[in-house]
Amino acid sequence: MSAKPEIDDGYSRVASVGEVPRGRGIAVDVDGIEIAVFNVEGEFHAISNRCPHQGAPLYKAGEKKINAEDTWTESRGGVNEDDLTVSCPWHLWELDIESGEHEVSGKCIGTFDAKVVDGEVFVRI
Amino acid sequence: MGSPVSQIDADAEVPERAYEDRVIDLDFHVNPLEEDLLAYVEDDVVRDKLTTEFGPTPIPGKWDAAYAIKEGNEGLFTQGRAEYAEDVREACEKFAIDEPIVNAGVNNLPLQHHPILKNGVVQAANDYMLDHFADEDIYTSMLVPKWDPEYAVEEIERVAAEDNVVAAYSWFGPKTPWGSEQFDPVFEALVENDLPLLLHGSLAYWPQHSYIGDEMLTWTEVLGFDWPIHTMVNVVNMIMRGVFDRFPDLNVVFQEGGHWWVPFVRYRMDEFYEMHPDDVKITPRKHEAGGELLERRPSEYLRDNIYLTTQPLALPRGSGQARDLLELSMADDMFTYSSDWPHQTLDPPTWFYTSRAFDDELRESILHENAEEILRL
Repeated sequence: MSAKPEIDDGYSRVASVGEVPRGRGIAVDVDGIEIAVFNVEGEFHAISNRCPHQGAPLYKAGEKKINAEDTWTESRGGVNEDDLTVSCPWHLWELDIESGEHEVSGKCIGTFDAKVVDGEVFVRI
Repeated sequence: MGSPVSQIDADAEVPERAYEDRVIDLDFHVNPLEEDLLAYVEDDVVRDKLTTEFGPTPIPGKWDAAYAIKEGNEGLFTQGRAEYAEDVREACEKFAIDEPIVNAGVNNLPLQHHPILKNGVVQAANDYMLDHFADEDIYTSMLVPKWDPEYAVEEIERVAAEDNVVAAYSWFGPKTPWGSEQFDPVFEALVENDLPLLLHGSLAYWPQHSYIGDEMLTWTEVLGFDWPIHTMVNVVNMIMRGVFDRFPDLNVVFQEGGHWWVPFVRYRMDEFYEMHPDDVKITPRKHEAGGELLERRPSEYLRDNIYLTTQPLALPRGSGQARDLLELSMADDMFTYSSDWPHQTLDPPTWFYTSRAFDDELRESILHENAEEILRL
């Protein structure tokens, strides 16, 4: 998909609200920067798409596992709506979705402003 | 002013360059459903006992390391559960893995109490893997029962010649190390059939069943160090007890046993052996053959007969330091790539493209050349 950039305070339209299911994310390239955009109970959060551990694509957090019905948690990592964290699909590194921090290692990735206007999701880098 | 935006929707989870190289994965776990596996047990009496409420691997205790993982034991299925060939192919596509060497890693089997029941699981797992993987053109490692060398030889003779069976898979642990002479018939059968021996850590011994293991309470101690300690013990035992003088064509791959200990073992073995070698002649193989010394320096066997899988690779941050450590660890000769899919220590081949420690030659050695050599692909 490619979208026309929105001219408004540096915000760019990245998706329609309906394109990002609750508890899941999408990844977008905004001017060369990979950003994961997550829907957390209808609130949208934008965070770097690359886990600070080994560079896994964070937007896949919550993806259904192979033969998920024969496993217990069914998804690769995922969004924790209560704690506002996202767990990486590779090694379950838990990142604060608002600050980008990984508490145990002290590593931190970028977060970005996100807002919804008229059913459209915008991100500012 | 907005910026150019495009949506990313890639199945690939590793750098594009990885798809240009041949990537062989020495440790890819398949997890058949229990009822599917047990349907392959040929012995009716054994099948009857394996299908009781105790299940096929009734070991005492539990896997304590799971306390460290947010999802507990589910960490063993962090990526999913491959039951059939198409599952493996789907998983490999994400990580640019061309040739997974699959195993039916029933890794808690060694401590099951009854050898007859354990052998039944081995027979069933090998037949399941032949039907669902080897016959589907996926390279497979067959299970070899360490606890019963005689049956191990029978099983090698029954299964090894099947198409796409490229390795034997067994376990290392705190019990009898593989340098013991009781394994010579197994080594002989492996060499005759051109199969390397892959030795994986055993969940059965985590951590209650070794003396120091009883006091290991954390994942970092157990996975991080208990397995590498046992690997070092097994490696040195095999070398010093003359396994590779008797079987110079035998290749052994230690899986998940760590790798940065190689410089320590390499130099320490040579130093100790060259200082005081007079007891080598009273080790059983040497004594029987009338030999006085090893035929080569200990570190030469390490370089030529021992291989290690890379996962999980923990590189020093600086690429110069990483390069030095790789060289001291004889990575160009000893390291083989492994993903450990689907476990919580998954290692996609990302490192080999994002770290400047790897030049093209070293990357190719680790990703496919060393594996091609020992698997004879």
